[in-house]
Amino acid sequence: MRAIPAKLVLLACLAFGSANLCLADAPTMVGQEAPDFTLKALGGANLRLSEFRGQVVLVNFWARWANDTRREMPALNRINTTYGRAGLVVLGISIDDDLRRAQDFADSMKVSYPVMFDTGSEIGRDYQLGRLPMTILVDRSGVVRYSHLGYKRGDDRLYLDHIRELLRE
Amino acid sequence: MNRTSRLLSTVAGALWLACACLAPTARAGLAEATPPAAPPTAGDAAATTAPPATGDAAAPPPGAAADSGDFKTLDQEVQSMKKDVIDLNKDLFVLEEELLFPANTQVAVYVSMDVGTFFALDSVTVKIDNKQVKNYLYTAREADALLKGGVQQIYLGNLKVGKHELVAFFTGKGPVERDYRRGATINFDKGVGAKYLELKISDKVAKHQPEFLIKDWE
Repeated sequence: MRAIPAKLVLLACLAFGSANLCLADAPTMVGQEAPDFTLKALGGANLRLSEFRGQVVLVNFWARWANDTRREMPALNRINTTYGRAGLVVLGISIDDDLRRAQDFADSMKVSYPVMFDTGSEIGRDYQLGRLPMTILVDRSGVVRYSHLGYKRGDDRLYLDHIRELLRE
Repeated sequence: MNRTSRLLSTVAGALWLACACLAPTARAGLAEATPPAAPPTAGDAAATTAPPATGDAAAPPPGAAADSGDFKTLDQEVQSMKKDVIDLNKDLFVLEEELLFPANTQVAVYVSMDVGTFFALDSVTVKIDNKQVKNYLYTAREADALLKGGVQQIYLGNLKVGKHELVAFFTGKGPVERDYRRGATINFDKGVGAKYLELKISDKVAKHQPEFLIKDWE
């Protein structure tokens, strides 16, 4: 009789843990200064993260083959359109090896924010990418405040809560 | 050793100044926090609030001059402390560079740009002895800063004494907005002192083309 509640508790912990993992704050990056990078954007301009200091930056790492990317991009588009004027910068970074196909994919998704390509995967290593897509929120002082792994329906509301909080600071 | 002792003395000076600045503030805070020994009587209040009878109403109260003097001194001390901190930071930076890149092996490469009518800089790749040591992408702001006369240290490293080759590749937009990629090479002798090389981008007006030069600063 005593073993059942213990198992239940264990299962509940595991379930809670795995649910949390999808949207968990990656403890390795949160609280640290966001590693700086310069990448070429789809339009040809070079963008450097540190030049957005003073603004809240959402960095979204994606890959064409990651299923959740297709669902997340429209949500990020909406967030960029709504909060761009309030001081939010959205940057998309593709880690696809095939640059041309990644460009075609970004074009087909009609993204309104700058999309860059990390073909050497150096930036991905700096940010300790685990699962794709991965979304990171950097505050006005350049510190990583939130890190989201993967994407599932409703996560954009969580992003919005965090973005509003950071924009208010 | 000499530099270390100088650094230590600067740190000690900065700490002393910090104490000197904080002491009056702390005293003032204590004075504010300490309650008056006895409540002022009606007569005292009248004496403190009544205007001066001599007619010099415009004259500041007796303590005001002393207060402004104190503030001035405090401000001077803060400014001096700031200067000390900046000097200390500079000394630490120089010391770090001297340790990591000793003069007998140091090689520094700089980028400068003049006019820029025929070339919009996008990136520079530096190879020393056929090994890529730097690939730098320029944002619009950085390219603009170079056009305004800024000089960027693109690479700082160590090299053995002897003959070396540096190759720099410049990419960007050339005349008529065309993609442009050019290289420049220099063979140089690394002596016992530090070596400074400058990658210069300028306009060749006669040919309506950009020009890429590498200057060896002796």
